Amino acid sequence: MFYKANILSPWTLLSLLIFCIFASPIFIVLASLFGEYSDNWIHLYKYVLGGYVYNSFLLIIGVSTISLFLGIGTAWLTSNYNFFGKNFFDWALILPLAVPPYILAYTFTGLFDSYGTANNLIREIFSLNSEYIFFPNVRNIYGAIIVFSFTLYPYIYLATRIAFINQSRSLREVGETLGFSKFGVFFKLVLPMVRPAIIGGLMLVIMETLSDFGAVEHFAIQTFTTGIFRTWYGMYDLQTAMQLSSLLLIFITFFLVLERYSRNNISYTSGSPTYGKIENKTLTGRKNILSFLFCLTPLSIGFILPISELTNWALNYKLDFFEANFIKNSFNTIYLALLAAIFCTFAALIINFSGRIQKTKFFGFLSSALALGYALPGIILAIGIMQLFIFLDNNLSFLNFVFTGSILGLLVAYVIKAYAMSNTSIESGYIRISPYMEDVAKTLRASNFKILTRIHLPLLKTSFLTSIVLVISEVIKELPATLILRPFNFDTLAVSTYIYASEERMYEAAAPAIAIVLVGLIPIYFLTKTIRSSRPGKEN
Amino acid sequence: MLKIENVFHSYNQKEDILKGINLDVSKGEIISILGGSGSGKTSFLRILSGLERPHKGKIEIDDVLIVSENYFLPTYKRNIGLVVQEKGLFPHLNIIKNVCFGLIGSKEEQNKVAIDLLTTFKVNQYQDQYPNSLSGGEQQRVAIARALAPKPRVLLMDEPFGSLDRALRESLREETKLFLKSNRITCLMVTHDEEDALSMSDQIFLLEDGKLNTHQQL
Repeated sequence: MFYKANILSPWTLLSLLIFCIFASPIFIVLASLFGEYSDNWIHLYKYVLGGYVYNSFLLIIGVSTISLFLGIGTAWLTSNYNFFGKNFFDWALILPLAVPPYILAYTFTGLFDSYGTANNLIREIFSLNSEYIFFPNVRNIYGAIIVFSFTLYPYIYLATRIAFINQSRSLREVGETLGFSKFGVFFKLVLPMVRPAIIGGLMLVIMETLSDFGAVEHFAIQTFTTGIFRTWYGMYDLQTAMQLSSLLLIFITFFLVLERYSRNNISYTSGSPTYGKIENKTLTGRKNILSFLFCLTPLSIGFILPISELTNWALNYKLDFFEANFIKNSFNTIYLALLAAIFCTFAALIINFSGRIQKTKFFGFLSSALALGYALPGIILAIGIMQLFIFLDNNLSFLNFVFTGSILGLLVAYVIKAYAMSNTSIESGYIRISPYMEDVAKTLRASNFKILTRIHLPLLKTSFLTSIVLVISEVIKELPATLILRPFNFDTLAVSTYIYASEERMYEAAAPAIAIVLVGLIPIYFLTKTIRSSRPGKEN
Repeated sequence: MLKIENVFHSYNQKEDILKGINLDVSKGEIISILGGSGSGKTSFLRILSGLERPHKGKIEIDDVLIVSENYFLPTYKRNIGLVVQEKGLFPHLNIIKNVCFGLIGSKEEQNKVAIDLLTTFKVNQYQDQYPNSLSGGEQQRVAIARALAPKPRVLLMDEPFGSLDRALRESLREETKLFLKSNRITCLMVTHDEEDALSMSDQIFLLEDGKLNTHQQL
């Protein structure tokens, strides 16, 4: 079917143009590997690169272990047992996804630093002198591991929970009749069956960990992202920054391939049509309390604690919450996010529509390739876009438009990062539209444009709005690309949170941080709806 | 009027689903093509309407070429009406807007054509309602009215009565046939139902193994 794409169709050309704009920053970054290597690179290679790899490796091991424990444990409990608060935890356990790791990092240090809220409280309660420090220093790699684990475990929780729910209970019972203990069934039957889902979730956790800039920078941990940022901002060496980015990109690609592979294998965990309503076992006594506490812990550390600390800062120390800077930065953020959301949604619409009318797999391939953008660290995108714009400024000076430092770079970065969200919304909307409709419309003299505007767009209204909302919530959190690509004197909520936190003005960071978390709750609402309708045999 | 010469078609470039279809249809004639599922009858209609392109063969309407190996007239320029078995109405448009979708001219002219047709097919009382509030039979009446509204040169129908109960399909068959005959509209219908074919058609062809190899003059 691939051969059927009509290359001369305006829809094909538009789709290819979108693809080229999005793909070029990545190719530019990768092409740097074949360029010249400066003295800075040799210095980095000799003295620092080993540290980046070691720290990244340590982060991955630590975060993976804790996230797996939390994600699988909570998913198993909520999908198989009734205990106190179970219905609440079903959806509340994904709330930490609304808190970007860098915000949890800021609140963590605010809470647990020597003179932070938690240590002050301990000193106050036990009337200890001001030199007494109860909680250990969290500004190290172990603190970072905790921060990442408690904000990212929901990726594993979500994927594994759906797999557990779709797992046939009778298979477990057959396992028990074959002589396996409950533990034996869990480790030899249940876990291997949901392995693809676990690996899929885990790869997302690892990719997010490797991509992060704000949290590791706050904890002063040397990783690829902080290295790229310093090489570019400290040494002004864009070429070496791109070469470092390429290495990180290769790492990320490896995990991305694993994630895609596990997603392809996920079907064997899906449910059979023979389900009835699954009755969960009700836990009582000590087991009931332990299950409650096990689910409450990640929720407390990943969501309740940071929200409480932010609220504490905002209410007790920073009364002028809606100050002028906050309003200005909020406006900048919403303006950028809305523009990016509209571009992103239209890009997804054009590519999906092209695929629909031309009925070829080519556009599906194009869409899948663009959707991989979610896995790209913002900092790599920023470096690639910066280099692309420098090239455009040098060669298209007759346009009288300066690309570098314009909001165009931010928009390109955001659209690449968020395309997958738009694509999912639009694609699922298209699935619900019968292809008969455009067949009939064509016989009624409708051009492709008329089919798009008069038939598809009205029918895709909900998908379109969902896409806009999801992209806005994603873009508002984005930090590294915004930090590098933003126009001069143009701050967003994420950037102002970062700047306040890096200057240790935590109280002032509270207002933008709270705003980011609140907007981050929007996709959680959609996820919650999915979760509620994900149990076979249960009414939607 | 409609002339089909040696049409071949395949989806996978390996095995032809249509193997040299030849057919001549006169103006105002109603033709039925009978065939089981997978026989290629829907593909045949899709080729005639321009939704698929045959890899070999030639089709003319009123002596004007619409498709050959080197030429392809897009669907929206063919003026061919299409009625499918189900899901063909636009759910976000009310009944009158559905019927007006393919019409050009002033709004008053469009509405007049639409209301006339809705009256003919006894669904004019639903003109302001949306498709999901109509029964299956009523929806199919609207679908036929909508396909006929732009005065197509040929009407193509794909199992148009397939989802209706016996009494309903009999009455709709009669009304449709009456309208087509009185307006001398050429019609090509594909179906697996012999009764539909027998009651509607002037000629019946059997599509088997990709060929129109037998036919019965009524």
